[in-house]
Amino acid sequence: MATSTAPPTVRLRPRRTPGTWFRGGGLSNLLFMLPLLFIFGIFSWTPIVQAIVMSVQHTNFLAPPSFVGWANFNQVFHDPEFFVAVKNTGYFAVLALVFGYPIPLVAAVLMSEVKRAKGLYSALAYLPVVIPPVVAVLLWLTFYDASPHGAFNTVLSWVGIPPQPWIQSAATAMPSLVLEATWAAAGGTIIIYLAALTSVAPELYDAAEVDGAGIWKKIWHVTLPQLRGVLLVTLILQIIGTSQVFLEPYLFTKGGPADATITVLLLIYRYAFGSPTGGNYGTATALSILLALFLAVLSFVYFRITKAWSDS
Amino acid sequence: MKSPRRVVIASVAAFATVIGLAACSPGSTTSENGKVTITVASLVPGSSKDAFAAFYARVQAFEKVNKNITLKPVEYQWTGPTFASQLAGGTLPDVFNVPFTDSQSLLQAGQLADITSDVNKLSYASKFNKSLFAVASKSGHIYGVPYGPYAYGLSYNRDLFTKAGLDPNKPPTTWDEVRADAKTISDKLGIAGYMQFTSGNTGGWALTEQTYSRGGRMEVKGSDGKYTVTADNPQTEAALAWLKELRWTDNSVGHNFIKDWSGMNQYFGSGQTAMFPSGSDVLTSLVQTDGVDPANYGLALIPTEGANSGVLSGGNVATVNTKTDAAQKAAAVKWIDFYYIQKLVNKTQSVADAKTLIASKQPVGVPQLPIFDKATLDTSLSWIDQYINVPKANVAPFQDGIFNQNIIAEPPRHTQELYAALDTVVQAVLTDKNADADALLKAVNKKVQALIDADTF
Amino acid sequence: MTSVTQPAATPEVISATGGAAAPEVRSRRFLSRAPKEAEAQDRGIISSMDWRRPGVRAAMRPIHVILLIILIIVGIGPLLWLAKSAITPTQDTLREPMALFPNGVDWTALSRAWSDPQVGIGTQFLNTLWVAVGSWGVQLLVATTGGYALAVLRPKYAKIVNGLVLGTLFVPAVVLLVPLYLIVLHPPVIGAPIINTFWAVWLPAGANAFNILLMTRFFNNLPREVFEAAKTDGAGPFRLFWSIVLPMSRPILGVVSVFAIINAWKDYLWPSLVLANPAVQPLSVRLPLIQPQIELDVFLAALAISTLIPIVLFLIFQGAFLRSAGLGGAVKG
Repeated sequence: MATSTAPPTVRLRPRRTPGTWFRGGGLSNLLFMLPLLFIFGIFSWTPIVQAIVMSVQHTNFLAPPSFVGWANFNQVFHDPEFFVAVKNTGYFAVLALVFGYPIPLVAAVLMSEVKRAKGLYSALAYLPVVIPPVVAVLLWLTFYDASPHGAFNTVLSWVGIPPQPWIQSAATAMPSLVLEATWAAAGGTIIIYLAALTSVAPELYDAAEVDGAGIWKKIWHVTLPQLRGVLLVTLILQIIGTSQVFLEPYLFTKGGPADATITVLLLIYRYAFGSPTGGNYGTATALSILLALFLAVLSFVYFRITKAWSDS
Repeated sequence: MKSPRRVVIASVAAFATVIGLAACSPGSTTSENGKVTITVASLVPGSSKDAFAAFYARVQAFEKVNKNITLKPVEYQWTGPTFASQLAGGTLPDVFNVPFTDSQSLLQAGQLADITSDVNKLSYASKFNKSLFAVASKSGHIYGVPYGPYAYGLSYNRDLFTKAGLDPNKPPTTWDEVRADAKTISDKLGIAGYMQFTSGNTGGWALTEQTYSRGGRMEVKGSDGKYTVTADNPQTEAALAWLKELRWTDNSVGHNFIKDWSGMNQYFGSGQTAMFPSGSDVLTSLVQTDGVDPANYGLALIPTEGANSGVLSGGNVATVNTKTDAAQKAAAVKWIDFYYIQKLVNKTQSVADAKTLIASKQPVGVPQLPIFDKATLDTSLSWIDQYINVPKANVAPFQDGIFNQNIIAEPPRHTQELYAALDTVVQAVLTDKNADADALLKAVNKKVQALIDADTF
Repeated sequence: MTSVTQPAATPEVISATGGAAAPEVRSRRFLSRAPKEAEAQDRGIISSMDWRRPGVRAAMRPIHVILLIILIIVGIGPLLWLAKSAITPTQDTLREPMALFPNGVDWTALSRAWSDPQVGIGTQFLNTLWVAVGSWGVQLLVATTGGYALAVLRPKYAKIVNGLVLGTLFVPAVVLLVPLYLIVLHPPVIGAPIINTFWAVWLPAGANAFNILLMTRFFNNLPREVFEAAKTDGAGPFRLFWSIVLPMSRPILGVVSVFAIINAWKDYLWPSLVLANPAVQPLSVRLPLIQPQIELDVFLAALAISTLIPIVLFLIFQGAFLRSAGLGGAVKG
């Protein structure tokens, strides 16, 4: 774990008494530290510890909590929906990579070559990101009307494509969710790539040209290698983000049709808040800890890779 | 970026204001001088201005006769997926309602206030339909007052029937006729002839009704008192097969299949479907939130066929929050009595209620089942006969037949979990041509049976 | 915790992009360099020589035009449709969603969406502002004082506290969902439940380790001689904080502010759990609730109104948005 890079301070401290503590600024130090300690103490450290405790307890707020050992984890692994949720989440992540990874890169590379009104291009690309995600999903919910009069189906009819079921069929629901998610997020990724592209040293292109490289060679041998770092970062962050997808399946389909879009986070939500006669908070926490462990492994692998790359 | 000083001053000012704001979250209090304040569930979010006006008028009428009680109405809607967090969060109003299916498990868990002594003070306490009251009582203690019992009915749009060349006065009486009419409407008008609930536990609710209507049952009580889940019974399979025909052969059920209670009402209200099965009391909500004109609305009996067939019936229980003190509990029961029951037992209140509804363009005469007995219900209806604005002929197909029907209560054990599991099956049949209904129903059996077996009571 | 979908950003992630590794150099570059300057200074993949080749020009011009058209359709198209449908009668939108006012314009939906006593979202609109302003205030307070204490005052226990704070970066927000909900119901120290008050969103928003990280890194790189000089002049820790450190930190305060406000505006899951009362609901919570209850035209008008402020803010502060996206996107994914 990285800590702050502050240089070590050398201070001569006399014997500590309450008096010296006070004169040494102990009180004001503590005062400045207080908001952080208060907020993190209550809203971060306590719930983290509590999560671990709750995962081995049966808690529904209705009866006092009881220790149940691994039962919550067992319950997760015996729930057929758990495997469906894991499969769906993986599917979402893969689709999001297929749609959402190359498109912004291509767009950014093309946009970086625009000479006039570059700002207009970036602003247009970024506009969907500005729309509040809930509004975006609810708007697309209207677009996804599966009747022949739906907005998207009307557009498809102009080019002779028959109406699509969009989120109303198990087969097309997930791709539809990913399509909206990509639309909503691609602008942000484009801007990151654009920023990275402008930081590629022009001398490298000059040097490549001296060696007789054409446009494609420059992209392949200069641009992409230079973007390697940022590409890896967006890759891993996208996977971490998509593993926790909630908003789209929750608002579009509530996990349907027939559990085709139930995701891990949606399942956690259902365990905790989905039953009208009392939530199963222990199981929900157990599943969230499993997800956290998975993400930790992912981050670890990623750090090893980036480290290996930056060392080489 | 402004100067840091101004930023800090601005944020301090913002905080000061907001402390005040945060303090006005709804709460209930009993003060020294005998004044009592309680929060009461009003209408579902998004109800029309008129509907709220009618509700507030009743609130004012109540406060006029109960000068020491102040009511704070808060909008409220029971939905399976959101109730648990409200319950756990302690954010329920002092008077709220839950469906028949949930009151037993909630009171077993100590989540409903014991209002026995206050209810017993009511003059008509002894007249309540005992079997109805059982949903909210336990060993002689009362935890809620059932109201608004409904039976399933087939709601239909009379205009659309006429436009499709069907006789709106002759709604379908068998499932085959429902299918045929749905196809006619769908073919002629290009909209859904029939729609089916699928989401938010309503899919299971409607499928259970269709099972009952064919004589099947979702849960069966053994001789040892243990319940067995029987979701894979032949009648449920027949209901799903029927639905499958409408979807994949006739294509008469529309194109959108994720619909909960509110969503369905919206489809019906905007003329996107001509028929849908739901509670017989749905018209109130259709008028309140979806702008449906009662003159254009028809309600028919759900077709019943085969031995043991019947109509699913449920209702709501008005319940009191456990956080209330004795004075608030008394006030809460007074309000339940005033708002939910008095119109059925007291002529003056009955007329006053009807007049308020009329003034706010709300429906009067929405079909309902009796809480006491049919005679009491008929008497109460005779008081307000001149105010009834739901054309009687339109709901006659339902009203005239319902009392000859076999009324069947909802499945008693883990009802909502059962419904939630069945949602998935209904969705699968409607969205996947090759869905294996039998395998899906067997999975429901397994899942819900495990919950029942784990019960300690 | 402001967003459950917010990935657990880690310090290495940030230094990998160079985002906050050296605030003096990095953030100043991010915050002051306008896109136009960059365009003038930097050359791209295609050299001026390449541009002179007719083949390149013939290919790139249409590509850029096509790109622009695609961006217009994708970026503005849905918004224009929303604007149109907000003033189109429901039945027209249902039957001919892509037609332009087949039966005229209906302005009443807009006013109903805003001020109808029941479906109107005026209250929730203000709530959204409150949520954003409060979250911003709490985050700024915790991040500045905490960062100052950790990086400038440096008491002995600072290392432990810093470790504990950064450790939370590795815990995804979803783990906190249920226990944090419990805490909001029965908060320690505070006592009374804060559910259904704005505090339930504001206070957890303050526990943002990424803010602390940005702050401490920035403060660490401020020249310590300035602090020593101020101390020699008799400035106490409060004056040092107020008159020296804060004024020097404007760039990083800007970055933290943009993140705080954008996150607060976007968040859904957490507010939907803790702000159930309509009187305190922000728009993101309200809109899905009323969607199945109200007529389509009024609902689309409500969506249009909800989009207005973010769009206007974006058009005004375009540069700041895009720059923080360049930095923040790398962190938020």
